[in-house]
Amino acid sequence: MGVVIAKRVLGSFGAILGATILAFIIMRALPGNPARLIVGPLATPQAVASVHREIGLDKPIFTQYWLYISHFFEGNWGYSYADGKSVSALIGERLGATIELALFSFGITMICAVLAALLVTYRRRPIADRILRGVAYLGFGTPPFFIALILLIVFFRSFHVLPGPEGRLGLQASTPPAVTHLYTLDSLIAGKFGTFWSSIEHLILPGVALGLSSFSFIVRLLRANLLEVSREPFITVARGKGLRRWTAFRRHALPNAFLPTLTAGGLVLGEFLAGSVLIERVFNWPGIGSLVFDAIVKQDYAIVQTFILLSAVMFVLVNLIVDLLYAVIDPRVRIPAVATA
Amino acid sequence: MSSGPLILGAGDSPALRPQGPVEPSGAGVSERARRASRAILSDRRIAVPLAVIVLLVLFAIFAPILWKYGPDRQDLINSLKSPSTTHPMGTDQLGRDVFARFADGARISLLVASIVTVAGALIGGLIGLLAGTVGGVSDGVAMRAMDAILAFPPLILAMAVTVGLGIGLNTAAIGVALVSVPWYARLLRSEALRIRSLPFIEASYAIGMTRARVIRRHVIPHMLPVLFIQMAAAFGYAVLGLASLSFVGLGAQVPTPEWGAMITEGLSYSLTGQWWISIFPGVGLLITVTAASLLSDRMRDLLDPRGEYARL
Repeated sequence: MGVVIAKRVLGSFGAILGATILAFIIMRALPGNPARLIVGPLATPQAVASVHREIGLDKPIFTQYWLYISHFFEGNWGYSYADGKSVSALIGERLGATIELALFSFGITMICAVLAALLVTYRRRPIADRILRGVAYLGFGTPPFFIALILLIVFFRSFHVLPGPEGRLGLQASTPPAVTHLYTLDSLIAGKFGTFWSSIEHLILPGVALGLSSFSFIVRLLRANLLEVSREPFITVARGKGLRRWTAFRRHALPNAFLPTLTAGGLVLGEFLAGSVLIERVFNWPGIGSLVFDAIVKQDYAIVQTFILLSAVMFVLVNLIVDLLYAVIDPRVRIPAVATA
Repeated sequence: MSSGPLILGAGDSPALRPQGPVEPSGAGVSERARRASRAILSDRRIAVPLAVIVLLVLFAIFAPILWKYGPDRQDLINSLKSPSTTHPMGTDQLGRDVFARFADGARISLLVASIVTVAGALIGGLIGLLAGTVGGVSDGVAMRAMDAILAFPPLILAMAVTVGLGIGLNTAAIGVALVSVPWYARLLRSEALRIRSLPFIEASYAIGMTRARVIRRHVIPHMLPVLFIQMAAAFGYAVLGLASLSFVGLGAQVPTPEWGAMITEGLSYSLTGQWWISIFPGVGLLITVTAASLLSDRMRDLLDPRGEYARL
């Protein structure tokens, strides 16, 4: 098992190394002036020259690469030319909003996916099954920003049941004292239930828009796995020895069917990272996604470049964690002899 | 992705039965292609999404030519009009006909996505084929390069490419194509490895065929079904990716009527009641991508019943 893990960890470092090289080639080594890209189209020639020197564009290419990654991993991410703040400060102050949205979205995605997959596989329900498969196809084939728009038109503009694109809280709710920077938890800690409710209300639409494509993927995977596992002989045995249908399902089918969906973890993170850029602006959600969106519009590329590299590192690490978890949980991966037998 | 030794049940499928050494001629390949296409057209589940895509293509080709308004013709007096008989999809904030823009957007989306798909398939397919047939150092180098691409969430790498190369529809297309390359490369590499281990390849060598000939006559034709399945799926992603990049302002620029860019333009109007500016291009995206992914899945069921995707 040690060898398996060591190999996988090493592979992840290789992937991160490859990703930084690729990002370096795209951002720095290709034609165009990277310094101009960072300071923006309106900067003076002196400012361009100063950044040119700072990121080492006058040095040999290997030194440039070294400076590029050492700056990145030291957290020296440069400054936004639009408002002069450091990129790390800008990302830091918006992290809470993005994490809260992502956690909420992940939560409802998983709960809905498990419930929906159970509903259509526990007993044969052909109609519900068709509907679910249709939803999964549509959810996978629709850009998240379009879903966001439809949700807003239906639930905000037509039926007025949920708040519109006004960020994390309604106008009458005040920001709770910052403890975790997640408004839902902070308001509970402060005992302000009105604020709590307001923050939940504001999370629902962006959460659904962000999670729908992941939901589609997971529910398809889970449904297929549940159908397959429930036909396995060990389920027949479990039923044969007198377990009730639900117990056999819960104890034997569900854990086995759930295992492969772990590997969707990396995919979900990728969807969330890209999705936050696509939908946060639609809801005026003050997170990293809308920071990056605005930075793209203003051509404030220090922020965009940091976000891109940061995404790659997180993506690789999450995929690594998922794989390691898989190895811990699944004996067929843990013990190679079983896998080949 | 696990390669070779999965299951050699390909012989169960009439469309994919490996040709024995008795009949290694081109006739076998074209006969198989004819059988596969007949099977595709007689299957309603494939014929429907295929017909939708064909209709979309015809629409994209002919609607911009035949429609009475141009996509950039402004008519400020008639701005923000709801759908009517003269403007079936209404007009936008500058009085431009949304239907004309929708049709032009269909042309742009389908054309660029097709180019992206073919380019990605050619580059990725070639890399996969070389890695899977030549092997050795080139295999290792190619696969590490593919790992570097896969280390990014797909859309974010495409964003990086457009930021690095300069904003625009062309760079967005390069970005989306680059993202799709490793999927083809990995898939076709494992296919090449699998096919190479089949007995009839050994037999071909035994009767004195050269490696180049074996690859051309046997390995490549056997990889085509998997390649087509992947291309259908990749086409959907390409449409989606291009629209997403345009939506955030990295792809097509104003006033190009690309679907994603149109949704951005209509966004603020949607919440004040003028829903038609954004909704129609969005529905266009939805239909295109869903048809492509349905087509891909049905083809997979039919042509590749042994694959690890067949369960989905």
